[in-house]
Amino acid sequence: MQPQNRTQPPAITMQGISKTFATVKANDQISFSVKAGEIHALLGENGSGKSTLMNILSGIYLPDSGEIDIHGERVIFRSPRDSMAQGIGMIHQHFKLVENLSALENIVAGTGHGLLLDRKAARDKVIALSEQFEMDIDPDRKIASMSVSEKQTVEILKVLYRGSQILILDEPTAVLTPQEITRLFHILHRMREIGQAVVFISHKLNEVLSLCDRVTVLRQGKTIGTVYTHQTTATELVEMMVGRAVDLAIERPAAVGSGQCLDVKNLTVKDHDGVARLNQVSFTLDHGEILGVAGLSGSGQKELCETIAGLCAPNGGSILFHDNQIIGKSPREIIRLGISMSFIPEDRLGMGLVASMDIADNIMLKDYAFHKGPFLNRKEARAKAKRIVEQLSINTPGIYHTVRKLSGGNIQKVILGREINLSPRLLITAYAVRGLDIHSSYTIYSLINEQKSKDVAVLFIGEDLDVLLELCDRILVLCNGQVTGIVNAKDVNKEQIGLMMAGETLTESEAV
Amino acid sequence: MRLRIAKKDTAGGYKAVLIRVGAVLVALVLSGLLMTAMGYNPISAFAAIIKGSFGSKRGLINTITVAIPLLVVALGLSISFSMRFWNIGGEGQLIMGAIFATFVAHNLPVNTPTPVYLITMAIASMIGGALFALIPGLFRAYSGTNETLFTLMLNYVAIKITVFLRLVLWKDPEAKGFPSIEAIPKIAHLPKVFGIHSGWIIALIATVLVYVFLKYTKRGYETRVVGESERTAHYAGINVRRVLISGVILSGGLVGLAGFVKLSGAAFTLSESIGGGNGFSAVIIAWLAQLNAPVMVIVALLFAAMEQGAMGMELALKIPASVADIIKGLILFTALASEFFIAYRVVIEPGPRQLQKQAQKEDQV
Amino acid sequence: MNFRKIMTVILALVLVVGVFAGCAQSSVTTAAAAETTAAAAETTAAAAAEKIKVGVIYISPKNDGGWSQAHATGFANAVAAVGADKIDLKEIENINDADAQQTETALNQLVADGCQLIFATSFNYMDVVEKVALENPEIKFEHCSGYKSADNFANYFGQIEQPRYLSGIVAGRMTKTNTIGYVAAMPIPEVYRGLNAFTLGVRSVNPDAIVKVTWTNTWFNPQLEKEAAISLIDSGADVLAQHQDSTATQQAAQEKGVYGIGYDNPMYSEAIKDAYLTAPVWNWGAYYQTRLQGMVDGTWATGSYWGGMNEGVIALDAMTALVPADVQTEVNGLIDTMKAKGNDFVFAGPIKDNTGKERVAAGTSLPAADQFSMDWYVEGVVVAE
Repeated sequence: MQPQNRTQPPAITMQGISKTFATVKANDQISFSVKAGEIHALLGENGSGKSTLMNILSGIYLPDSGEIDIHGERVIFRSPRDSMAQGIGMIHQHFKLVENLSALENIVAGTGHGLLLDRKAARDKVIALSEQFEMDIDPDRKIASMSVSEKQTVEILKVLYRGSQILILDEPTAVLTPQEITRLFHILHRMREIGQAVVFISHKLNEVLSLCDRVTVLRQGKTIGTVYTHQTTATELVEMMVGRAVDLAIERPAAVGSGQCLDVKNLTVKDHDGVARLNQVSFTLDHGEILGVAGLSGSGQKELCETIAGLCAPNGGSILFHDNQIIGKSPREIIRLGISMSFIPEDRLGMGLVASMDIADNIMLKDYAFHKGPFLNRKEARAKAKRIVEQLSINTPGIYHTVRKLSGGNIQKVILGREINLSPRLLITAYAVRGLDIHSSYTIYSLINEQKSKDVAVLFIGEDLDVLLELCDRILVLCNGQVTGIVNAKDVNKEQIGLMMAGETLTESEAV
Repeated sequence: MRLRIAKKDTAGGYKAVLIRVGAVLVALVLSGLLMTAMGYNPISAFAAIIKGSFGSKRGLINTITVAIPLLVVALGLSISFSMRFWNIGGEGQLIMGAIFATFVAHNLPVNTPTPVYLITMAIASMIGGALFALIPGLFRAYSGTNETLFTLMLNYVAIKITVFLRLVLWKDPEAKGFPSIEAIPKIAHLPKVFGIHSGWIIALIATVLVYVFLKYTKRGYETRVVGESERTAHYAGINVRRVLISGVILSGGLVGLAGFVKLSGAAFTLSESIGGGNGFSAVIIAWLAQLNAPVMVIVALLFAAMEQGAMGMELALKIPASVADIIKGLILFTALASEFFIAYRVVIEPGPRQLQKQAQKEDQV
Repeated sequence: MNFRKIMTVILALVLVVGVFAGCAQSSVTTAAAAETTAAAAETTAAAAAEKIKVGVIYISPKNDGGWSQAHATGFANAVAAVGADKIDLKEIENINDADAQQTETALNQLVADGCQLIFATSFNYMDVVEKVALENPEIKFEHCSGYKSADNFANYFGQIEQPRYLSGIVAGRMTKTNTIGYVAAMPIPEVYRGLNAFTLGVRSVNPDAIVKVTWTNTWFNPQLEKEAAISLIDSGADVLAQHQDSTATQQAAQEKGVYGIGYDNPMYSEAIKDAYLTAPVWNWGAYYQTRLQGMVDGTWATGSYWGGMNEGVIALDAMTALVPADVQTEVNGLIDTMKAKGNDFVFAGPIKDNTGKERVAAGTSLPAADQFSMDWYVEGVVVAE
């Protein structure tokens, strides 16, 4: 491991990479080069070819044509093993760790050649690595007891342990608090210092600009260009990604509220083990208002959504909707009242859509029951589906296309389109822009603002604090099922919210 | 060279047809080779299969007669399968249907008009099948008990119940000491239409009803949503329990009806073998047809034709039943394999040495 | 050429050769067959037209070593005797006799194939045979071991109780533990009859011996039969007899070092040489020959046939060297009496059942009708737990 040297060949050189799936050119003559000792961002909208390119680099796909050189050596990857052998390590969005093994066991799993493991040597190496990169990890702790950020650190250690010189991180910050992001960036800086190459995939332009040295932008399977971050701006990058200028500011029309919609008091939900997932949660929500909910994943957002939608029975508290108690009502009664909930889970399809059915059949999922008679009213569903596909410019061959075959962004548009089409009085949306590219995200923000202007009360559960701060009127912060504060979005900054997400209450954060 | 199995992103139309046609050809070639190796003439064997199944009026009647209960059971099971309720208890539900129908057949007053007689038996058989499916259905709905093993074991319960009835409770005193159940009276026989017992009309009506149910009714839609994901169903406001239970009742009822059709159309006497393995064959039929009711008609017919064709082959070529069974198995195996190749593909990747050579060649150029 | 290409070519070649081999061979045989047919057409045209198709359905494979094999051997012998140029035998194996639909379609296949006489060789085929016979009055049917008949529907059976009784004498003489095991199939009169005849034979020479019976409720399930046999041996039996369609009981006897009495066919083989004593056997060829000849001569008539040892349709297999000479003499000495008196000798009173109740008074014999519906055990039979 030597410091960067100008004459040294680049860590990665990919040239003329093409890959076609059936009729889609996912990669079309892409060139991509990363120097040793560089943090290099890979930007692009969904479907721009980022994942295909990275899958080629990590040996999952074999390109139809093109060459790959690693540290100046021509290589051909036929399997992830070949890629790993060349020192390439990938950190996926979904961690591949065994929950009931320790960090050490996860790190060394699959590396030994013999049956017996030299535990001591392995342990020393792990500790040495974590000291070198200034990571704070106890090798003997079980993965199950770790936070998301710690799990991510273990994943990074795992690839470093295997001798990786090149690290690919796929949207690593999506699940972290601002403080944790700072820590991750620190680790990545250490890697740069000792001459490793880092490929950083993210949608968050401000992170890209602050962390990375250079950026390569892909669009529709082609390389648009590679630029130095100190020579570019967010607006310029977006223009490269989308192909035209986009206004990055999120609108926040003034709340036009016509009275209270929802009044939640002392809501408590416990899981099977009796652990409180929601603890004495109280808040109100007005019509024509967007209330954002911030919090680390698993802080009770899911339970909040499901309790209001009637999918899970609370252990205490009350939920008044227009002064009517809705606890104890069936999900269908709640839908009928005009409460619409959409929760985008990590796999996007887990709840909300029937993956094997077509768009039209999915559009009627929430309201088919309200038609008369024992038969389905497909005609109406078809008309609605056509309208939604048009309005939200959903990219699909037709309304009879199976939902499973749609891309992530389009799937989310189908869900949101359906929910909005129900003309709800209360719209709950969780992670509506999860994994979406910039263009689709802004479409969805404006859809939500449109609902707000129609006097709909919106509960917006989000991940990106920048978005929450810009879009919402007020922000409720959850930590371990408890409300650590409800603040006016205009009056706080990201760091304060981050501290509240970590458990500090509002007054303390203000004190800091 | 390396082989890898990958899921296909598109299970495209004409390619799927091509693969299925290919499967038939492979089956023909393989079984042809096998027969040649064993000293039989494959061409006349295939001719005998066709002649035995479709070649004569009697052969055709045989084929349709065998296909009728297979189809009705497959239709019933397909309702279970579309809500991912793994009902492997078709055999038991069919037997229970036949038991209930037999009870009615022996206890109605003899002066009851035939239609009433038959309809009462049909309803009784549906109740029998439905009740027997309902047991695992309730357990699944209320305590999440795995239904696969449950329904499978209930098959043996149904068989033992029939043995008990035959040996003890319903032992026919007229049978000169032979432990058998008395045959149902003539009035309880399904009349013949076009030379085949009218079960075929029941089967076709059931096909249309199941198709319409799953495709066009609200409850059918709910059934499919529940099959895809109970969470999604719950989220959409569907009462999952109610859908599960009503689906299981419908499914078991139809399978039970097959028991009536078989009893009144072909067997006339209740015995533990009345199922004849139909409950299991129908699982394959339902899935080969991808739970599509009209396709099940064709698959059930082909399945029955295979049975009859095998007998025809035994007769024409005087080959043992075991060889006929092997050929039957071969055809079924390739059919199932073709479904695999429609959903997955085997990727042949160049090996390391080859790639090096290629790279060297390119470098020289 | 690289490896992949070689593999592809080899695979393609295999397929092509396979297809051609299949086609070539078949076309050759077809051509040859066509020639012979053509050449022989004129001379045998008349004979071929007269060749009578006779159908048979079996419950198990023809080579089961038991029941079906006895029938198949009988048919083969009968066809050879009557003339292979006169009879064309059409057989279907493995037809479950409890599956009425399968039975019916199998019979219909035989009808469709042009059979003029059809034999059904298991008891439970009875009702279906009756139905199909009614639908096809121009075709003749014969059913083995049942009791129904019609103008075109005969039934036939043999008095296997006679050799069973004789084999019982062998068992009664050979047992040291005075416990004899009996593996029995289905609880139907035929099996009761055989078991009781056997036990009467045992007790005629050894009044202290008991016969332990285990019911398997299956005709053909070698694994289950063997398990039943072994449990009988474990409970003290040192001679085993059986009423099953396989040779599993004999194998168990051989493995466990006890004696075994077979059934259906002469069962002696190297594999069971230390166990096999003798067996009551069927010689169906004797009956089938007359029936097939009747078809050829146009004299076939319906009826109920129940032949005894005197007609040769049943016999006791030659006793092996394991049976002492004096016992052999004793048994052989009874054969003439048996041939003369038949089942009246086997079921001659006084007979008590195993509850002590007198069933047949001294000086009388059990009437045939009561033999035919027998569902009780004679004294000396113990049902194994």
